[in-house]
Amino acid sequence: MRSRAVRGFVTMALVGAAFGSVEAQDPRIGNRLDAPTRKALSALVDSARAQGIPVEPLMEKVYQGLAMGADGARIVVAVRSLTAEMANAQRELGTVATTDELKAAASAVHAGVPPVELGKMKKQSGLRRSLTLPFTVLADIVSRGVPVQTAANAIRSLVGAGARDRDISEFQRNVQVDIEKGAQPKAAAETRAKGVTTTPARPEKREQE
Amino acid sequence: MADWGRTTLELIVQELQAPVRLDESFDRRVMVRVRRAYAERRPRGVAGWFQAAASVTRRPAYAAALAAGLVAVVTVGMLRSRPQTVAGSGPIPVQFVLVAPEARSVAVVGDFNNWGLGDTALVAENHNGVWSVSAPVPAGVHRYAFLVNGKQWVADPTAPRAASDDFGQPSSALVVEAIAE
Repeated sequence: MRSRAVRGFVTMALVGAAFGSVEAQDPRIGNRLDAPTRKALSALVDSARAQGIPVEPLMEKVYQGLAMGADGARIVVAVRSLTAEMANAQRELGTVATTDELKAAASAVHAGVPPVELGKMKKQSGLRRSLTLPFTVLADIVSRGVPVQTAANAIRSLVGAGARDRDISEFQRNVQVDIEKGAQPKAAAETRAKGVTTTPARPEKREQE
Repeated sequence: MADWGRTTLELIVQELQAPVRLDESFDRRVMVRVRRAYAERRPRGVAGWFQAAASVTRRPAYAAALAAGLVAVVTVGMLRSRPQTVAGSGPIPVQFVLVAPEARSVAVVGDFNNWGLGDTALVAENHNGVWSVSAPVPAGVHRYAFLVNGKQWVADPTAPRAASDDFGQPSSALVVEAIAE
């Protein structure tokens, strides 16, 4: 709890230092962003904060854009897109969703998953189950060509069957390998999901004669 | 005659005012009867427990107290069961591996090191074309990528893809689970 508060304070300080004033620039950003870009990003961050959206992922997006050599306009577009995706995800997941769940959910939304599907999974799984990994895998398999509804059904069935994160990770790896070997993404996801949710039959004991 | 009557009356009053003397087994006999009467009234077993509970909830004060208690228990339970943000957990060692026999250098950058800004990139070591570096990463979900030869962005082929390629470069997703204390 304490470290969470410290992390939040540091994030706020970094955001303020990054966009607040030219004199107090974040050394990681330095002179790489021009004034209009900083102003636009500052407005986006303020808007996100007002909506209760965590701003740390937005800062990470800025760093990623700078590292990958994107110009200011492209970074602003990416941050605006991420803000909207996180807002949509938060609307469906509710305030109980963690920052990590929101980040993962935003990825899934970006991949094309309707936020309402994410909300269904959250309601189904309850509060105790973190959906960070399931949402991450959902985004991955959709980006590999699995149809959105097929992917959502597969992940929902896995979560509903009580699959652990390691099971869902294995499911992702298997689907990836199947697709790379030439399988149809839809068939790979459906088949591999059945493999996780179906309990293997125990071998029968041979009666002693 | 008057004296006799007065004396008799005084004796009666005196007798009535005298403390009643009970024998030593009186208490024990009373308690045996009380327990027996209670046992006969109260149904035994589960039905008895439910009946007792029902008789309590019929009283408004008890019902209100019970409801408040239930709300408190559920609220505390929800707060405690709220999925903890794994950001509060300490860093966990993670190994990053990329097979790139032709590469001259490989670095790892991502959310966990501010994407290498400020010389924070993790420089991988070359083991006959298998590049590897281990680093403590905070629990949570992260985006990252390999930077090969200082200019080529490569996603981790063994990890889930990060769906957002806003900058036209591939990246991967990493979920680091918090170690249960």
